Amino acid sequence: MILPKTASVVIVGGGVSGCSIAWNLAHRGVKDIVLLEKETLANGSTGRCGAGIRMQWGAEMNSHLAQYSVRFFEKANETLEYERDIEFDQSGYLIVAANEKEAVQFKKNVALQNRLGIPTVYLTPKEAQEIVPIIDTSQFVAATFCPEDGHLNPFHTTEAFAKSAERLGVKIFKHTEVTGIDVNQGRIEAVETSRGRISTDTVVVAAGGWSKEIGAMAGVDIPIYAQRHQILVTEPLEPVLGPMVMGFDYNIYIQQVPHGSIIMGRSDNTEPRDFRVTSGWRFTEEMTETCSKLLPPLSQVNIIRQWSGHYCMTEDAQPIYGPVPEVNGMYLACGFSGHGFMLAPATGQLITDMILGEPLTIDVSNLDVGRFQRGELVFESSVV
Amino acid sequence: MDDQRIESHPILQFEKSAVLSFTFDGQPMQGREGDTVASALFANGVQVFGRHFKTKRARGFYCAIGNCSSCLMVVNGKSNVRTCTTYLEEGMVVETQEDRGNLLRKRQVGQALDVSKGASDDV
Repeated sequence: MILPKTASVVIVGGGVSGCSIAWNLAHRGVKDIVLLEKETLANGSTGRCGAGIRMQWGAEMNSHLAQYSVRFFEKANETLEYERDIEFDQSGYLIVAANEKEAVQFKKNVALQNRLGIPTVYLTPKEAQEIVPIIDTSQFVAATFCPEDGHLNPFHTTEAFAKSAERLGVKIFKHTEVTGIDVNQGRIEAVETSRGRISTDTVVVAAGGWSKEIGAMAGVDIPIYAQRHQILVTEPLEPVLGPMVMGFDYNIYIQQVPHGSIIMGRSDNTEPRDFRVTSGWRFTEEMTETCSKLLPPLSQVNIIRQWSGHYCMTEDAQPIYGPVPEVNGMYLACGFSGHGFMLAPATGQLITDMILGEPLTIDVSNLDVGRFQRGELVFESSVV
Repeated sequence: MDDQRIESHPILQFEKSAVLSFTFDGQPMQGREGDTVASALFANGVQVFGRHFKTKRARGFYCAIGNCSSCLMVVNGKSNVRTCTTYLEEGMVVETQEDRGNLLRKRQVGQALDVSKGASDDV
């Protein structure tokens, strides 16, 4: 396939966000869309993530975004006419409160979520154990459970968006690196790539951890940084976990994929803030210790391997959605801070709303890039 | 019990060590101290250690050095034990594994057989 000389929209980044944006634009009638990916689809954060989706958030907007995405994923195989399966497993999320302070916040979260129609319940440790029999009730003071949360396969999900987008005419170029962005009098003019130049007036930056570098090509400073996060996977087992189990203060997320392997991760603020995707022994130790305390039988299970990817972090751990004030025609969909995968359907819908100049499906106007300069950060209590 | 063992060898000498009793799928068997679970089974003529969880095809001794997962069995109620690198112990309860490994099984077997300690596979 030859790189076109012009495009109506160029999307930078072939992760789940970029592919969702491409599909949404094409689905709503935009022609001549080009998506550029310097490696392969889902090679960055998407293919390395924990791949859970939850509607249990502390802020109303995040709950709305997640709700939109859950509803989309429930029908995604049909909507995207995917011949395989995105493996959306809605066995819920059980979130444990490690202390009273968290439990108080969780009560507020549940009230908010219930008001929005999200069927979360507040549980005692004993009740939580009925859902996850291998959990140690002495390790937490309370839990919340939403049966409609779940997890899905990030590779299939990205592929489903990409294939459907291609059928609608989107041209996807893998192994094609963006090397420059031409701006003329404050307007996007073209995107330079390792395979040639594409004239366009609209660029969407959905390059995950690399978005800052893409922004810099147009002279835009995007206030984000990439930070390494590590994950490990165990040998496959018969179903033992049920829902995804998560704790913020406890610092764990853990899920069993359909194949039987258990995937788990945790956060560490001392992780390097660069593009390293190496793995370290300290994570293995801390992760297995955390996991064995909360779910003791898992201490018997063998680890198969470990890997890492990036969280693309913002100061308030919320995404950046929307146009860049200083460069006309540049839109940002980055800074997802570890929850970009689960928000992908909403991301595609909202960026398309913005590009087409239509009313926003969900009001995310406070997630613009300008909020950092204005000092109007958006706070969310429930992140890991 | 020793019909699969090398009894005489032109160069090497095999000292006969102490006899250890264990069960394989409920059947009493004997091995020798120094045996791995897999070598004891092999000496008893057992070649099928487990079955693939999906295809149910036979699995047995393959790499014999703890890499290949072909010899995974349930030992003292613990699934996914690499029997080729796990030393045989007196009274071990060894079972064919036909699933991906069931963490919940341990309790049931442990209760029924009063197994005080889990299998050690840290050879």
